[in-house]
Amino acid sequence: MCELRKRGLITAVIYSGPFLKLGKAQARTFGVPELPLLEITHPLGGIPLDDVKARAAQAAPQFADLVRRHIK
Amino acid sequence: MNLNVLLKAPGAGFDADDDLEKINDLYLDKGWGDGLPIVPPTAGRVQKMLGYCDRPLDEPIGLIAPRYGAATPLRLAACAVMAGCRPEYFPVVIHAIEALCEEKFNVYGVNATTHPCTTLVIVNGPVAKELKMNSGHNAFGPGNRANATIGRAVRLAMLNIGGAVPGAGDMATFGTPAKFTFCAAENEDENPWEPLHVELGFARDVSTVTVFGAEGQHNINDHESITGAGLLKMAAGTVATTGANNLYFDGAPLFVFGPEHAATIAKDGYTKADVKKYLYEHGRVRLGSLSDENIERRIRQWPVFKGEFAEAGPERLIPVMKSPDNAYVIVLGGPGKHSAYIPTFGPTHPVTRALKRRDGQFARSAQDFRQN
Repeated sequence: MCELRKRGLITAVIYSGPFLKLGKAQARTFGVPELPLLEITHPLGGIPLDDVKARAAQAAPQFADLVRRHIK
Repeated sequence: MNLNVLLKAPGAGFDADDDLEKINDLYLDKGWGDGLPIVPPTAGRVQKMLGYCDRPLDEPIGLIAPRYGAATPLRLAACAVMAGCRPEYFPVVIHAIEALCEEKFNVYGVNATTHPCTTLVIVNGPVAKELKMNSGHNAFGPGNRANATIGRAVRLAMLNIGGAVPGAGDMATFGTPAKFTFCAAENEDENPWEPLHVELGFARDVSTVTVFGAEGQHNINDHESITGAGLLKMAAGTVATTGANNLYFDGAPLFVFGPEHAATIAKDGYTKADVKKYLYEHGRVRLGSLSDENIERRIRQWPVFKGEFAEAGPERLIPVMKSPDNAYVIVLGGPGKHSAYIPTFGPTHPVTRALKRRDGQFARSAQDFRQN
């Protein structure tokens, strides 16, 4: 993901709440501290399909907004 | 590059009051410690530690994930001082770090996972006695400086160099007390089989360090069985649990036999290979013990699972290990009718390093690394 970001592609990492610090640390480690991090409700693992769809619904508009900002 | 030059580099050191309590407060406030008091890594102490290192002080031994920090001898020496190591322990620390940086160990996973695993360090060969390591009574417990501080130094390196900061680079749900330190020597004197390093192809007089991405041990109490078959049956029953990661990944769990159990099993004619085969064949979980969701996941992860297991009905037995060779067997501990099963993170494999000098020669002693 970080390599794609370095090449100028629109990229983001989707994280659930408790993993924000890990995501930020990894972005710094791999040289892209500005890597967009899109938050969804924790947890993602061990939840029913409807809840997974709800997480996707949280992430989708954030990613769409990221793409729009990139196009402008 | 010599130590004095390295210590003048930006960020390499700092001035502080010569006050143990203040230094400890500072280190813990910065997140540089494990919660226990540390020995301040002063330039003098670090220099003494490096007196047992024959490698360039600023040349990385490896990169420790998830931060991918460069594990140089200089940084490792600071961790070893903080842990309370005697300088002659340092070659074992260096080789343990070199081993855990190998890809198949998967230190990223071991450090960052929500699973409660850590690096278990097992030492074989003459260096274990030279350093007065404990391989007997309470070998995984407190009381021995080498066991305690070598394991702690490895953990501090995983924290301070690798970035395994709780909640930021170490996402363990519970963690485990084994994350403070987890290190012992194999009890080779009371091992009826070949010790681990000999099994792996090293000469008996070579010293080795083996790292496992391990949970804390699960005890196997068996005061009743008086045959090898009986003891192995009880051990296999301990393996057959649904919650350990080894059921789900192609991992390499460790079986630690107490000397009394090992003697009984060997007396009845079981070789190490026989033990592994038995545990593979009998350490199995009923399909019906798994929830429907777990069965569905296994089908996605392991293509043969559907045909071989999932469609065979609830009584079908699933092996915890993918093959007998996945099992590692050592002998450790003192008198008593106990053995232990040590599940691992799962997607991690043990790595062994022989203690070698920089010129490639096997070290016969920790003193072989001594400078000056």
